[in-house]
Amino acid sequence: MFSLESKVASVLKKHPYNISFRIRDNIVFLEGEVESHSEWVEIGLSVGRIKGVEGVVNKIRWKGSGREVEKEEWRRRVFEEKRSTVVGEYDVVIIGGGVVGAALARELSKYELKVALIEKSTDIAAGTTKANNGMIHAGVEPPRGTLKRRLNVKGNAMYGRLAEELGFRFNRVGSLWLITPRTLAAYRKYLPGPLYSLVLKHVLPLVVKIKGLINGVRGIRVLKGSRIFELEPFATRDAVAAVFIPSTGVVDPYEVAVALAENAEANGVEIHLATEAVGFIKENDAVKGVVTNKGVFLCRYVVNSAGLYADEVAALAGAEEYTIHPRKGVLLVFHRDTGVFTRHCLAEIILPQDPYTKGGGINPTVHGNVLWGPTAVEVPDKEDTSVSREEIELVLNKYSPIIPGFPSDRLIRFFAGVRAATFTEDFVIRPAKWVRNLLHVAGIQSPGLAASPAIAEYALEKLREMGLRLRPKAGFNPRRRPMVAAASMSLEELDEKTRMNPAWGRIVCTCEFVSEAEVLEAVRRGAKTLDAVKRRTRAGMGECQGSFCTLEIALILSRETGLPLNQLLKEEGRLFNGHVRGEHV
Amino acid sequence: MKDVAVVGGGPSGLAAAVRLAEKGFDVAVIEVMGELGGMLEQCIHDGFGTKVFGETLSGPEFAERFVKKAYSLGIQVFLNTYVKQVKAGGRVKEIVAVSPSGVQRLETRAIVYAIGCRERNGFEIRLGGTRPAGVYTAGMVQRLVNLYGVLPGRRILIMGGGDVGMIVARHLQLEGAESILIVFPEAGFAGLPRNVQQCVLDFGIPFKPRTVVKRVIGKERVEGVVLTRVDEKWNPIEGTEEFYACDTVILALGLVPYTGELKLGVRIDPATRGPEVNEFFETSVEGVFAVGNLVQVFDYVDDAVETACIAARGVEKYLNGGLKTSPVRLAPSGKVRMIVPQRVEWVDEENVVAFLRPAVEKSNARIELRSSGGKVLERFFRRYVRPSTLERIEVSRSVFSGQREVETDIADG
Ligand SMILES: Cc1cc2nc3c(=O)[nH]c(=O)nc-3n(C[C@H](O)[C@H](O)[C@H](O)COP(=O)(O)OP(=O)(O)OC[C@H]3O[C@@H](n4cnc5c(N)ncnc54)[C@H](O)[C@@H]3O)c2cc1C
Ligand SMILES: Cc1cc2nc3c(=O)[nH]c(=O)nc-3n(C[C@H](O)[C@H](O)[C@H](O)COP(=O)(O)OP(=O)(O)OC[C@H]3O[C@@H](n4cnc5c(N)ncnc54)[C@H](O)[C@@H]3O)c2cc1C
Repeated sequence: MFSLESKVASVLKKHPYNISFRIRDNIVFLEGEVESHSEWVEIGLSVGRIKGVEGVVNKIRWKGSGREVEKEEWRRRVFEEKRSTVVGEYDVVIIGGGVVGAALARELSKYELKVALIEKSTDIAAGTTKANNGMIHAGVEPPRGTLKRRLNVKGNAMYGRLAEELGFRFNRVGSLWLITPRTLAAYRKYLPGPLYSLVLKHVLPLVVKIKGLINGVRGIRVLKGSRIFELEPFATRDAVAAVFIPSTGVVDPYEVAVALAENAEANGVEIHLATEAVGFIKENDAVKGVVTNKGVFLCRYVVNSAGLYADEVAALAGAEEYTIHPRKGVLLVFHRDTGVFTRHCLAEIILPQDPYTKGGGINPTVHGNVLWGPTAVEVPDKEDTSVSREEIELVLNKYSPIIPGFPSDRLIRFFAGVRAATFTEDFVIRPAKWVRNLLHVAGIQSPGLAASPAIAEYALEKLREMGLRLRPKAGFNPRRRPMVAAASMSLEELDEKTRMNPAWGRIVCTCEFVSEAEVLEAVRRGAKTLDAVKRRTRAGMGECQGSFCTLEIALILSRETGLPLNQLLKEEGRLFNGHVRGEHV
Repeated sequence: MKDVAVVGGGPSGLAAAVRLAEKGFDVAVIEVMGELGGMLEQCIHDGFGTKVFGETLSGPEFAERFVKKAYSLGIQVFLNTYVKQVKAGGRVKEIVAVSPSGVQRLETRAIVYAIGCRERNGFEIRLGGTRPAGVYTAGMVQRLVNLYGVLPGRRILIMGGGDVGMIVARHLQLEGAESILIVFPEAGFAGLPRNVQQCVLDFGIPFKPRTVVKRVIGKERVEGVVLTRVDEKWNPIEGTEEFYACDTVILALGLVPYTGELKLGVRIDPATRGPEVNEFFETSVEGVFAVGNLVQVFDYVDDAVETACIAARGVEKYLNGGLKTSPVRLAPSGKVRMIVPQRVEWVDEENVVAFLRPAVEKSNARIELRSSGGKVLERFFRRYVRPSTLERIEVSRSVFSGQREVETDIADG
C-alpha cells in the first residue's frame, strides 16, 4: 500500500514544476508557481483524480493570477461594521439562493425550524442557475461511484411530483443520442471494413444502454433505421443507430428555483436578497453567526451552497477543503419557430469526447425555443460569462450536422454560464472537517439542476446526522400558486380575465405575448429588477430582445416600486445610468 | 363588418386609413400602443414630411396631421389593442385582438398591415463580450430621452454611422453627455450628407470609420469596449484592438421589417426581409396588404406614406372587384440588391411605382429594366447611386405587357 503522500508526490513529479503540498484529513493543499492557468487546472485535476483524495485546495499561482485584494478588504470592512448588528437567530442559515439553496430551503421548511436563506444577488437564481440548458438528465453519463450519479438518477425521478406541487413547467421529452459514421471516426483504423459498421450499429448502442442500466436509468431503448426518424424526423440521415432515453426532461431553471423559494417562503423560511456573507463569527470549532452586509445571522447550523463562491465562503469559515475551478459553457438560443425541428434532447455521440464541447447537444426548452450547446472551457474568472464570435461559430459548426436542415439563422440570443467544478469533479456534500456545524453543498456542477431535489434530501439527512432535530411542521403546504401566462391561455380565458382586470389585456411584450398583469404579479412576488421580471414573465426574451418592451417594463417597475427610472437595476447594475433632464449634472 | 382594418397606427397605417376613409370606406385602425403616431412619436428632430407636406416638420408634428385627419373622418381607432390572430383565407377576414376591454373579434373585407419595423439588436450582429446593463438600441434611447427626459448613461459609444446613429449622437450631445464616440465599419457615414454635417461635424462629435466593437466589457454595467479596425470586407485587422472606456453602448444597426408579428402565412422576400407584394402592395394572401416599413425599411417617412397611398388604391380596386392578370415577376439582378414590388399583376392604367436598393456605388448610372431575353424595356438616368440611398422609379405599364419576368439592373450611363 502506498500512502496518499507518496501518490500525490508521484503525480506532481510528472509536472515540470516545483510544487509543494501538504495533506490534512485527505485534503491536499498545493502551493507553487506555474506558467499558465491551464497548467493550474491540469495539476489540480491530476491530484483530484487520486483515489482517496477528498479535496484539492489549489494555491498554486500562475502568471497573471492575482489576489482579489479589493474584495478581501471590502469583506473585512463590512465584517467590522456589521459584526454586532444582529438580524435574527436561526436554526439553519443557507448561504446561496441558487436552485440548490432554494431546494434545501424548501426541504427544511417541512420542519419546525427557523431558517434563513441569504443570497448576495438581487434575485433568486441569478448565479449559475440562470444560465444552463435546463435539462433534467436521466443519469446515464456520470461515472459510477460518484455522488452525482446517485443524486442525478434520484433527482430526475422526483421532478414529476415536484413540478405538479410547485406548478412549474416540466416536460419529459426524452433524449436521443445519435450514432453516425462520425461517432468512432477516430478509431476507424482499428475497426477495418464491416467491423466498423457492426460496432456502430450493434456494439456501441448496447454499451451505452448497459452503462445506463448499471447507473439505474430505466427504459433505455436502442433504435435503428427508420425508427429513429419516426421519433425525430429532422435528425441527420447519417444516423445508423440511436439510444433513446425516455426519462430525460426539460424545465425552465429559474422558474424551478423561484418556485422552490416561493414555496419555502410561504412555509416560513426567511429569504434575504442582496445579502452577502462576508465572514463568520466563530467559537472554537463552531460557527455562531454569519456576518453579512445586512448584519449578523446568528445560527446553529450553516449550509454553504454558494456555487462558484463556495470555496471562498468555506475559507472564510475556516473550512477550506476545495478550490473551485470555473468552467464556462456557451449556449445559443433559437427562435420559438424552430421548435418543430427537435422533439427530444438530441446529441451525436463522438468519441473521444471533445473536451471543449463535452456533453453538449441540441435541446428544446419548455417554451418551445431550441438551445444549442454548451461548450466547456476552463476560465480564470468566476464571472466570465462573455461570449465571442469564435465561440458562437464553434457551437454552430459542432452541432449543425445533427439537424442538417435547421434554420440556424434564427439565432436570437446567446449567453454563458459558469460551472462550479471542484478538482475531485464530484458534488461535495458533507459536514466540514474542521468546523462542527457547517455543511458543504459545493461543487454542484452539471447535473446539479437535475439532481437538486435529491441533493436537498441528501443534505437534510446530513444535517440530521450532524445533530439537527427535525420535527415535521403540521401546516406545511407543498403547493405553490403558479404564475399564469397570457401566452398559455385560451382566448376565452384571457377575455374573462381581462374583463375582471384590464391589465391582462394590455400586452407589453408582443414577441412573447406578455401582459401587464403578469409583470405586476411578478413585482408582487418580489421581482425588483428588469431581469427578475424577465425571468418570471419572459418579457424581453423574444425576437427583438427587449428593444420594444424594456422601457415599458421599466415604467411599470418605477411606478410600482416608487423608484425613479434612473435608479432601477437591470440585475446588479443600473439600467439607466445618466442624469435626468433638468437635474443638475 | 368593416370594409378595411388597418393594423398599426404609425404614419403609413394612418395614411392608408385616411385615404380609404376619404374614399368612403368604413375603416378601423388597430394600434398596440396607447397613442397613434408609431415611431414618429419618439423623433422630435425635424426633417419629416418634405415630400408629403412640402415643409419640414418634427416627427410628432408630422404624425399629428394624420391623427387629426383620421379622427375628423370618423375612423374607428382601437388603442392598446394587440392583434393576436388573423384568419384571412376567405372574402370575409377575421381579426382577433386583445385589449384592456377584452378579446375583440373584428370582421373585415380587407386588411392593411402597417406594423413597421424593429431595430436590429446586438445578438443579430453577434456582438461579443458580456451582456451587462448599458447596451441599448437607438430607438429605445430616443424614447427614453425624448419622452421621459432620462439619459441612458454618461460616456457613450454609438455603433452605426447611419442617420439614426448620427441623430442620437446629436441628441445626447445636446442633453449633456460627457463623451460620445461614433464607430462604424464603412469608410464613411452611411447616412445622409445633411445629417453628417448637422449632427456630427457641426458639433465636433468624434467618430472612427472602419471600426467595430469587438467585445463589450463590464460585469454589472458597461465599463468599456474593445474596438478593432476592419478592412473593406469588414474583417477585423489583427493588432488594431484598443480599449475604449464608456458606460453606454448604443446600437444603431438599422431596422428590419417586423414580420415576426405577421400572423398569417404570407411569403417573405429574403432580400427585403418583408412580405412579397404586388404593385398595390398586396401580399401573397388576397385582400391583405402591407405598407410602410413592414415591406422594406424606408429612408424617408414620405416614401413609407406613399406606399400606403398606393395600397389604398389597391384596396379600393380589390373591394370593387378589380381584375388581375397573370403576374409578371419584378426581379433584382446583379447590381440591384432588392426591389419592391416583387410582382405586377393588376389590370390598371397607371404607372408602377417601384423602390430599389442599389448594390453598388456609381456616378452617371442607368437603372435598366430588361426582359428575360435581355432587351432593355425602360431606363432611368441617375447622377449618382449608392446602397444607402433607396431609388424610386415610375415604370410605364406597357413595360410589363407580354413579359413573365422583368429584371432590374444598373449600368454605366
Ligand atoms: C452552461 C451550463 C449548462 C448546464 N446545463 C445543465 C443541465 O442541463 N442540467 C443540469 O442538471 N445542470 C446543468 N448545469 C449545472 C447547473 O446549472 C448547476 O449545477 C446548478 O445551477 C447549481 O446550482 P447552485 O445553486 O449550486 O449554484 P448557483 O446557482 O450558482 O447558486 C449559488 C448562489 O450563491 C450565491 N452566493 C455566492 N456567494 C455568496 C455569498 N457570499 N453570500 C450570499 N450568497 C452568495 C450566488 O449569488 C448564487 O446565486 C449546467 C451548467 C452550465 C454552466
Ligand atoms: C430613430 C429613427 C430616426 C428616424 N429619422 C428619420 C428622419 O429624420 N427623417 C425621416 O424621414 N424618417 C426618419 N425615420 C424613419 C421614419 O420614421 C419611418 O420611415 C416611419 O416611421 C415608418 O412608418 P411605419 O408606419 O411603416 O412604421 P411605424 O412608425 O413603426 O408604425 C407601426 C405601428 O404599428 C403598431 N403595431 C405593431 N404591431 C402591431 C400589432 N400586432 N397590432 C397592432 N399594432 C401594431 C406599432 O406600435 C406602431 O405604432 C427614422 C426612424 C427611426 C427609427
